[in-house]
Amino acid sequence: MSTPQLLAEHFFRHEYGRLVATLSRRAGAQYIDAVEDAVQSALMSALESWTVSGVPDNPTAWLFRVAHNGLWGELRQRTRHRRIMEQNTTEVAAAPQDRVEPFLAGEMQDDLLRMLFVCCDAAIPTESQLVLALKILCGFEVREIALRLFISEGNVYKRLSRARDRLRALPPHLDELADEQYALRLPAVRKILYLMFTEGYLSSHAESAIRRELCAEAIRLTDILANHPVGESPETSALLALMHLHSARLTARQDGTGGLLLLEEQDRASWDRREIAVGLSWLAKSAAGDVFSRYHAEAGIAAEHCLAPTFQETRWDKVVECYALLERIAPSAIHRLNRAVAVAELRGPAAGLAVLDGFQPPTWLAGSYMWVAVLADLHRRCGDAHTASGYRELACQLAPTTAVKQVLQRRLHIAHAAASPAGRPTRRCT
Amino acid sequence: MPKYLCLQRKLADGNAERPSPAQMQEMYAKFGAWQQKFKKNLVDMGGKLGDGKLATADPAPDGPFVEVKELVGGYMIVSADSLGQAIEVARECPGLVGPGSGVEVIEIRTP
Repeated sequence: MSTPQLLAEHFFRHEYGRLVATLSRRAGAQYIDAVEDAVQSALMSALESWTVSGVPDNPTAWLFRVAHNGLWGELRQRTRHRRIMEQNTTEVAAAPQDRVEPFLAGEMQDDLLRMLFVCCDAAIPTESQLVLALKILCGFEVREIALRLFISEGNVYKRLSRARDRLRALPPHLDELADEQYALRLPAVRKILYLMFTEGYLSSHAESAIRRELCAEAIRLTDILANHPVGESPETSALLALMHLHSARLTARQDGTGGLLLLEEQDRASWDRREIAVGLSWLAKSAAGDVFSRYHAEAGIAAEHCLAPTFQETRWDKVVECYALLERIAPSAIHRLNRAVAVAELRGPAAGLAVLDGFQPPTWLAGSYMWVAVLADLHRRCGDAHTASGYRELACQLAPTTAVKQVLQRRLHIAHAAASPAGRPTRRCT
Repeated sequence: MPKYLCLQRKLADGNAERPSPAQMQEMYAKFGAWQQKFKKNLVDMGGKLGDGKLATADPAPDGPFVEVKELVGGYMIVSADSLGQAIEVARECPGLVGPGSGVEVIEIRTP
């Protein structure tokens, strides 16, 4: 008996994404359900067959052939879709086994990217776009998505069905995207990838492997986008830079028991130097041209943190500058709050408070632990113990998880060094 | 060593959930580990069973027959010192025994 061959990490999930993308381009995105069924069945056949007879020389081609035949078998049976059959008969007949593979090689990356743009249809709500991308491009099942996004399975189903309804409504063979469609949808594509990343980065899931997964998926897809003519642009480079720069510090954000660590408590030696280098090279690439996006500002902040030899030696003037730019490009109260924290490091707690002086935070922020915790910290450092303790109590009450509560207690009760939510993606509070 | 025929039986109400791609990856790895562990016992990995028909001396009567593939998912042949040991090999096989399926282990008697 031969030793079973090892398959690449996430082989089944990634093949799922590639096959769904390729087959739905050929059949039409309106057949997404049949496509997904065919791919699922092909993967099951692979599991059954490869464990007994070994992995074929070209597993991707093997899967494609099985899924392709399964799909067209199904479509053939749907008599009302006879017209599609006729259009594709030649292809089925002309696709002998050995010709599938060379045909695939150059095409699958394009198809994956194309499917990402199909997902980012303006008629599909953003939260449905994200779930759809996780389902069909990353190969996650409903319960796996629910676990990773901290939402119910019912909610995942609801979001998915909205997206699928839209895909099914696309007229046959008219879902091909024209060049201008790619350009139009590019910002939405970047946004989805950004969301996918921050969902992983800010996740309070106890297992670090699960937290890392969404970040890794976002980086994988953004990398394809940034290296492809339809997606390469300074903004995409900046997005990829910020992902790598944050990702470099992902492991260091937690202690051995899953507790959160403040930036100043993190062991900088455990930051991933290789990731930082990759991030910085994308950041350099993003400087081409005169575009300065929110991704540039966020990547700039992340880079400052990665490059600072110690917390104290952080170039807070640069961080403040980037937050000010970020506030201008993408006005948000959370950016102002982060700027206040950075200003407090640069010019002292009173200057930090001055940034927030007279500022009315929106309800979602005023009711979040972050806002209250920053006030508690700044007031304490200004010597106003009474005001500080009021905010401190409130912050601990508002803490969403035990890990956050612990970090707040440690920070607001004992520590004298500065706390900073600076340099993290800011979506947690939105 | 005696040989045993293992038949995977689909049990009534066995409506196991479809595994996700990530779970398939896990099953693949577990299956590999199982094959390594029992490589001395695994004589024939067998396979799935498809369509069949009853052949008799008379012209084949028209059914109804219980379709074999509805009851039996697949077969394999293992060698073991005893029925108990053969059951152990089958029981540890990932995916063979679980919600909705079980394995019938039958001794193959050779004269």
